[in-house]
Amino acid sequence: MRSITARSISLFSLIALVAPALAAQEVEAKPSLLSPNTGVMAWTLVIFVVLFLLLSKFAFGPIIAAVAAREKALEAAIAMAKADRDAAALLLEEHRKAIEAARGEAQRFIAEGRATADSMKAEMVEETRKQQQEMLERARRDIEAEKMKAIDELRREAIDLALAGASKVIEKNLDDAQNRKLVESYLATIGAK
Amino acid sequence: MMKFASLAFALSFAFAPIANAQGHAAPPAGQAVDIITPHISDSKHIEIPSFVLAEGLAREIELPHWAPVHIGSVTIDLSPTKHVVMLLIAAVLCLLVLITAARAQARHAVNNGAPKGGANAIEAVVLYMRNEVILPNVGRHGEGFVPFCLTLFFFILFCNLLGLVPYGSTATGNIAVTATLAICAFFVVEIAGMRALGKGYIATVVYWPHDMPLAIKGPMTLIMTPVEIIGKFTKPFALAIRLFANMTAGHVVVLALISLIFTFGSYLLAPVPIVAATAIMVLELFVAFLQAFVFTLLVSVFIGQIRESHH
Repeated sequence: MRSITARSISLFSLIALVAPALAAQEVEAKPSLLSPNTGVMAWTLVIFVVLFLLLSKFAFGPIIAAVAAREKALEAAIAMAKADRDAAALLLEEHRKAIEAARGEAQRFIAEGRATADSMKAEMVEETRKQQQEMLERARRDIEAEKMKAIDELRREAIDLALAGASKVIEKNLDDAQNRKLVESYLATIGAK
Repeated sequence: MMKFASLAFALSFAFAPIANAQGHAAPPAGQAVDIITPHISDSKHIEIPSFVLAEGLAREIELPHWAPVHIGSVTIDLSPTKHVVMLLIAAVLCLLVLITAARAQARHAVNNGAPKGGANAIEAVVLYMRNEVILPNVGRHGEGFVPFCLTLFFFILFCNLLGLVPYGSTATGNIAVTATLAICAFFVVEIAGMRALGKGYIATVVYWPHDMPLAIKGPMTLIMTPVEIIGKFTKPFALAIRLFANMTAGHVVVLALISLIFTFGSYLLAPVPIVAATAIMVLELFVAFLQAFVFTLLVSVFIGQIRESHH
């Protein structure tokens, strides 16, 4: 067994070196597991080379090309997604800023509105007070005027009354001796003139 | 269900060689007959399923005999053998499976989708072998070696698997087949070396250390050059023997286990060898993948080694 193995191994290595040289001898040798058959070797070579050519052209080429294309497409998709995400982030930042700005604006508007309202309220209160004052003043003036008028009226009435009383008294005192004397003396003065 | 299938599988395996042995020279009664060697060695006939009960489970078909071809002083008998038929079947299966997968990919590539099912599995294997095994080992700019290594892988794998199918035979269990594949690999490796190193390729044949004095350089060259040259041939030699031995050994073990039934001549004992043989068959299935992988891996490593070797 060992001698067969050794012989086959040496044969094989020789064949590996100068494959076809020993072919004739090989075919005639007693078939053994370890003695290569040149016909099968030739078949193997032909089948393998043809298979290699066909597979690399019709199978591996297209498969690897398709995978490369898919990888490229995926990379492109990822790059696009990344770009989109960046753009979205930028947009988001912008929006956030805009919202911040809007909020500040609103705050300012509210503050302004409040200030305006306050000043308006103060103004209106002032106005109201002034009007009130004016009205009071006018009322007071009216009252004064009315009072004066009333006093005048009263005075006139009093004079009339006094005059009426006085005329009554005078009427009554006219036939009095004293009055006569008075008239006479008056007349006397006229006469003396 | 699976168990039943594998049992039937093992049984068909068991009966095929018996039919084979009976079809040949009828052995003298009571004398041991070698059923293992005929089964694992090449032959001029193939077995096909037989549905005629009288014939057993297999029928033998004689392959045509062609006159040997003479090329100069070389005579090559090109008549097909069992293993040649298996090689052809493996090649056709390779083409069918891989080109179908490629077609499916091309169809799916239109809408940038990945194919599903079988085509996706093939793609996964192709990509794994390419990206994890071949490219890292052959080194930079190694894309040109990918189709060769992938062809090696799938061809060896299909040959290995055909040996596990009933009526099949392991073409990679034939030293002629593995030797031819190894020689192909040898030439690819050496040509890769020549292309990558240019003039520097001579340094991988003739050992010529630059950093030694001439007195040492001379003897070193004389001693180391044969070693370098032998090293070149041991690599493909080891490849051929490894694949051949692995593919043969599993079958021998399975057949020996099945033969135990007949050695003991008892059907009662049959379950034990059948279970053991089924387990070995499962291991064989793994080995079929493993050896195809190892062959491809080592070829990639050898290509990478010679391309990287700067003395």
